[in-house]
Amino acid sequence: MTSSLLASALRHFQNGRSILLQNASVVGPMSNLGNFQSLNGNNTTFGGSVTFVQTRGSRVKTRLTHPRNTWPKRRRERNDQELTADNQAFLNKVVYDKYGPAHFDWRAENTGMPFISPLKQIIYERGEWEPRSIRTGVIGRKIGIHPMWDKDGNRMLTTLVQVTDNHVLKYIPPETVEKNYGPRFKRKDVGLLLVGAESTDPQRFTKEYLNVFDESGVPPKTKTARFMVTPNAKLQPGTPLYATHFKVGQRVEVFGHTVDHGFQGVMKRWGFKGMPASHGVTKSHRRGGNTGGGGEKARVWPGTKLPGHMGNRWRKLLGQHIIRINTKYNVLYIRGHAVMGEVGSFVTICDSFLSCAEEMDKSTLPFPTHYPEESEEPIPEEYYAPNIYNFADPSIVFEDKR
Amino acid sequence: MGTYAGCVRSMNRNGPSGFTEADGTIENSSNYERETKSSCQKYPYVSAIEENFAPFRFVYPEFLPDPNIKWRNRVREKLERMDMLKRRSNLDIPEFYVGSILSVTLSDRNAPGKTNTFVGICIQREGTAMRSIFTLRNIVDGHGVEIAYDLYNPTILNISCLRLEKRLDENLRYLRDAPAQYSTFPFDMVPELRSANVPVPVNPIKVKLNPRPWSAKWHLWDLKGVEDSSEQILEPWEMRRFDRWKFAEGFVTTKYDLMRAYRSTIPAEEQTEIYNEVHQQLANLFASLRKQKRKRTFLKPQKTV
Repeated sequence: MTSSLLASALRHFQNGRSILLQNASVVGPMSNLGNFQSLNGNNTTFGGSVTFVQTRGSRVKTRLTHPRNTWPKRRRERNDQELTADNQAFLNKVVYDKYGPAHFDWRAENTGMPFISPLKQIIYERGEWEPRSIRTGVIGRKIGIHPMWDKDGNRMLTTLVQVTDNHVLKYIPPETVEKNYGPRFKRKDVGLLLVGAESTDPQRFTKEYLNVFDESGVPPKTKTARFMVTPNAKLQPGTPLYATHFKVGQRVEVFGHTVDHGFQGVMKRWGFKGMPASHGVTKSHRRGGNTGGGGEKARVWPGTKLPGHMGNRWRKLLGQHIIRINTKYNVLYIRGHAVMGEVGSFVTICDSFLSCAEEMDKSTLPFPTHYPEESEEPIPEEYYAPNIYNFADPSIVFEDKR
Repeated sequence: MGTYAGCVRSMNRNGPSGFTEADGTIENSSNYERETKSSCQKYPYVSAIEENFAPFRFVYPEFLPDPNIKWRNRVREKLERMDMLKRRSNLDIPEFYVGSILSVTLSDRNAPGKTNTFVGICIQREGTAMRSIFTLRNIVDGHGVEIAYDLYNPTILNISCLRLEKRLDENLRYLRDAPAQYSTFPFDMVPELRSANVPVPVNPIKVKLNPRPWSAKWHLWDLKGVEDSSEQILEPWEMRRFDRWKFAEGFVTTKYDLMRAYRSTIPAEEQTEIYNEVHQQLANLFASLRKQKRKRTFLKPQKTV
């Protein structure tokens, strides 16, 4: 693993610009491929040298606003007048019978728990953990912010992310990845795992898009994401993923898109100070002022900070702590209020690769994922990190050591 | 009838003492399409709200979520309520309102005896769920002190209500510009106990503020608990301009704005759903925690300020 390189990069970064860690993206040798990050849920390829680079002010296009021409067309244009009510009811029944009631009875308010896939035949055997294995991540929805306290009485905020109806859709082995995606993924030894969240009505989608879900036997999903995994961490299509895939106290990477602020001026977008409200200032209270110098290169340079669209960017948060897990509703409590996006927006979460994350023994994490139906003891409803106060405990009292 | 009074009136936490006149008639809100038990009932259901759960929204206001739709999520609200009940099983949080006098004991690492007690009048209550905050004010050594406490902070060892009463206003921030006598309460104040059947008294006191300058333009706020001295402060032309400004800004028409009221409150059906979920546990907690307190005595007459 290039953990030592990461460590040195992180130290460099932290010395200079620790505050900007949230704005950084891990940009490897494929920095020239601007759309790479926005497409991939988690680009965990650390083939060469790794640098933490600010993408603000650079010309890398990070806001993807159109679908790729290689993707199959997703939505089907429905004309409800084509069908009579009876025919529509019949179609609904067919769908219901094909996939089963559990798929459509899942609701976040109930438990968010996925059901177990009907695929009985074992296609992929479960692998064993080795050092430097990479396991899959999950897709979750940010549901809000909640304060927690530690046992010393210090308050912190936590962001709640609910892992809703996740199923593994496909596994693509490394050879096929190399053949199809070529120079994009420099690491030759990782495969691609496609995961989907939140089952929906198949009548909304085109036939070719539905083919993606044939292998796993689950209905089409609202949200899909890719995770690069080592071959020993591959999962059977249709395997459900739960919040207990992670462990309390673990560090994770959170990848999602930020709140869309729309077209914003230079003060909000870049943090410019503006100009005084009075004292003779003419029509320039929130403007940017000077845009450059003169001389040989007398022009506005590319990447100059100007007003424009702010937000709705893909960003990655590294090294976030999970301090609590609720297994009944499949909710992860991530320390801090930094998880990007509005309440209800999707994020993908996977294990952190930072060197400080290696304080937790990776071999203790459920590999390749957690199978709750196989656990011998009943799973507790809540898991708390060691120093976190559980509200069921008595009030915090400090002992007089005299 | 046909008024969803439970949803519209008393938008402030003080309840009926701050009664607004926006008692408009609202139909069953047509965009409320979730499956609830009560979706078909109209008039009988309104009386059920008023009988069973009407007082809950005053006694346990933090159980109602923030009405802002952007931040609402049912799963998170459920989890918050579970946490709140767990915390309440370890700490008896009494019923109190803005204007009540409370005594709060905290665990403090740096204090002698490792505990810290503060007594003060509650000047405001903010926040929902676990982020609910109340602020206590008192005058200590001639200095006004306000402390904001998280209601569900685990270092709080005890909250007791020394005098339970309401005031005419939603918050008492104007006490900062009032003479010290209105904010001074002795730290060794004896709790005034009252019998359960007596409704919470409303203190109709009208505070006389100090001469200006003030920390805020209190004469522009519609404060009922402050002695009206706007004639002494504003010129007649200022008064006329202020009346026009109030109308233009919508202060006068706010009481007729039903959509504003709807957006800033939780609908009655949802309130009932929420309190239905928690009322049994709250009742059990009330019974078990109050057993530990001493017996009630009669209400003693106290010297007024």
